[in-house]
Amino acid sequence: MRNIVRSLSLNAVKLDSRYLRLILVVLTLIMFVIGAGAPMIGGGFGG
Amino acid sequence: MVLLVGVIAGLLVGLLRAWLGKKSLSVPQLNWIWLVLIAFILQWLVFIWTVSSRILPDRWAAVTLIGTQLLLLAFAWGNRSKPGFILLEVGLILNFLVITLNGGLMPISPQTVTRLFPNASPGSWQIGERLATGKDIVLEEKDMRLGWLSDHFLLPYWIPYKVAFSPGDVLIALGAFWALAWPRSPE
Repeated sequence: MRNIVRSLSLNAVKLDSRYLRLILVVLTLIMFVIGAGAPMIGGGFGG
Repeated sequence: MVLLVGVIAGLLVGLLRAWLGKKSLSVPQLNWIWLVLIAFILQWLVFIWTVSSRILPDRWAAVTLIGTQLLLLAFAWGNRSKPGFILLEVGLILNFLVITLNGGLMPISPQTVTRLFPNASPGSWQIGERLATGKDIVLEEKDMRLGWLSDHFLLPYWIPYKVAFSPGDVLIALGAFWALAWPRSPE
């Protein structure tokens, strides 16, 4: 998995695809904030 | 989620700044992205995917949350030189502290739970127990350690989206915003 992510990241740099790198960074930050944060969402609950 | 607002807003501001300045958007080069991927997958299995989240014991949830936060701390530390990542690191540390000191889950008070879930059926949550399959545990404020770092912030009543978040979540959202809105350090 680490190699896959590294390969994806390296390929993004090699291709000099700014948009692909941007997508990778944005997705990483999205995963980070979801994992790091602990907000509790309200709404319907319970049975 | 409320934290995603920071990411989306930062991206929009970064794109707008690049467009107005007639420059190419600067994209930060992040290190150790695989740590984030592993942490996310583990948390998805334990807290989000209903197939597994409903059957895994609460102890596994606590261990997973602490372990994945350590992975994310390592990621943030490895990228600490990037704009915004100091805020991400500090916010994560605050969450990590309160979670670790309260049994491995984010504490939330009964009063906050009542405001979040006003229509919850009686007995659907209990003090001292984990709240559904999420990251929170319901604790009286007097029983919390570092309760001021817990999930106690609520959005204004006129916003229909109901969510409780912590001071650490605020810093994380700000850090994500900064990382995308100003990806280069000020010269």
